[in-house]
Amino acid sequence: MNLGKIHSFLVHPAKGEEIQPLIGGTEVPQEGRLGDMLAAIFARAPLECDIAITFRPNDDGNQENECRDDLVTYIGAPTIATGRTIAGRLQRVTTHRSGLGLLFLMTGADGAVRRLVASRFPADQGILAEENKQQLSVEFLERVFMKSTKAYKSAVFESDSAQAGFWDGRAIDRQISSPRELSDYWIRDFLLSELRTTGAAGTKRLAVAFRSAINQASALDTRQELIAAATLLSKRDGETASANQLIDQLGLSSSASEAVESQLPRPDLLEEVFRFDTEEFERHLLYRLVELDNGGLLIAENDAFPRVFERIELAGSDGLVAFRTQGHVVDERLRKAK
Amino acid sequence: MTTPTEVYQRRFEGHLVRIAANLEQLVLGHLGDAEDVDCVRARAKEPARFAEKASRVDEQGQPKYSTPLTEIQDQIGVLVVVLYKASVEPIREMLQRYLRPIEDTSIVPDSYWEFGYFGRHVVMALPQDTIPAEVNPIEVPTFFELQIKTLFQYAWSEANHDLGYKSPSPFEGDQSRRFAFAAAQAWGADRAFDELHEELVVGRGKGPNNQG
Repeated sequence: MNLGKIHSFLVHPAKGEEIQPLIGGTEVPQEGRLGDMLAAIFARAPLECDIAITFRPNDDGNQENECRDDLVTYIGAPTIATGRTIAGRLQRVTTHRSGLGLLFLMTGADGAVRRLVASRFPADQGILAEENKQQLSVEFLERVFMKSTKAYKSAVFESDSAQAGFWDGRAIDRQISSPRELSDYWIRDFLLSELRTTGAAGTKRLAVAFRSAINQASALDTRQELIAAATLLSKRDGETASANQLIDQLGLSSSASEAVESQLPRPDLLEEVFRFDTEEFERHLLYRLVELDNGGLLIAENDAFPRVFERIELAGSDGLVAFRTQGHVVDERLRKAK
Repeated sequence: MTTPTEVYQRRFEGHLVRIAANLEQLVLGHLGDAEDVDCVRARAKEPARFAEKASRVDEQGQPKYSTPLTEIQDQIGVLVVVLYKASVEPIREMLQRYLRPIEDTSIVPDSYWEFGYFGRHVVMALPQDTIPAEVNPIEVPTFFELQIKTLFQYAWSEANHDLGYKSPSPFEGDQSRRFAFAAAQAWGADRAFDELHEELVVGRGKGPNNQG
């Protein structure tokens, strides 16, 4: 993919302000170290941007989206004027919490396929240290724009059709699991987009994979580990992450994580980012655990529990219950309490 | 040079039919035991129909689609047929929990004096779950079309589509009127069954049996 044009715009925080600050813009030459750095970002964007997104339809449900329109206009005619429209859109949703930022727009083509990369570098403060033979000089710098690992944002769109394409893309947003204002800023507010995978879809996919892995696990240890992990997952409501990240955070053994991963229809689904939905998860994978005051523990999948354990209320015994079950013993062992 | 129609033919034979079958199962799973769903069907567009659509021209005689593989969004289509008109909205909401739309419109004739195509028309991102592991997603359409129709809307649109597709010339005045007549009857039947469902099943209507 050949990089064509690069433009840069200084974007102030001006959400809700009636009079918007003027936006300075410039074309960035491709030569030099800055050009080299941006060319590398342009080339790596499809790999680096790990969140699949789609533009929202307009309020009437039509296949129209103002942000996409602005991006397509810029792709067709990449100028400071068309780029400033996009920068203005970003400025109008930028709060003081997000702060000053430098927006880079980069376009390029490979045959009929065109690519647009939009990257925002947040402003930071820094110290410039220059060393010569005799001494060290230090200087405070107020507007340093860094590809911060915590706040850097980018998005990439590719298509061969300006008319019907560019409706989906990929983004990177290290603040997507931050408080709502920050997490919504780049994808929902600026790009007028949503995660391609809905919370219910991503959660259901993971729950079904866990359920199948539990049912098919031949080793009792793996099954118990997966059941415990599923219980922990239920507490992740609202967290935005990929299945891979969620599995990593659980610290599963390699056999348990492989058991879950093998249940997904495609390995790349492990990387799809979605917002975890506990209600949806429990709809597909819920274990009921009953603990008795005599030290007994009974556990089974919620739907199957009444079938697996027959509950008998003992008359006149003040809440005393008996459970009855039958089956073949597939494993029995002693285990230390942790 | 390979034409878009040839590429489509290869994709159709290679994986689109399988993806449509997977999508049908996925949608059925999302609908669970939803009431009032008559059937769910998914299909990959027949290559001949894709070729016909890809070759259409606009009023100036220019090709309507310059990149048909990207622009034609109903290469894969899903149809959900429901028994009652009142069921369309809950089914749409249920599916939107799991599927991301880029278009979601209700199609009705332009004027209250006209009868023709009615239906819910949604374009959604194709879930990656439906793509077999060995297929490169680049070889797969990004979106699919979902239609939610009542039995009568479906019956009318199928006959209308079939006759329109087979007819060598556009419909004439009286023929269009007869299509409109059939559409009006389908609309009336939907309305009657909706009201009966409300009165007899939901029990909140004001039908003769429910009036105190």
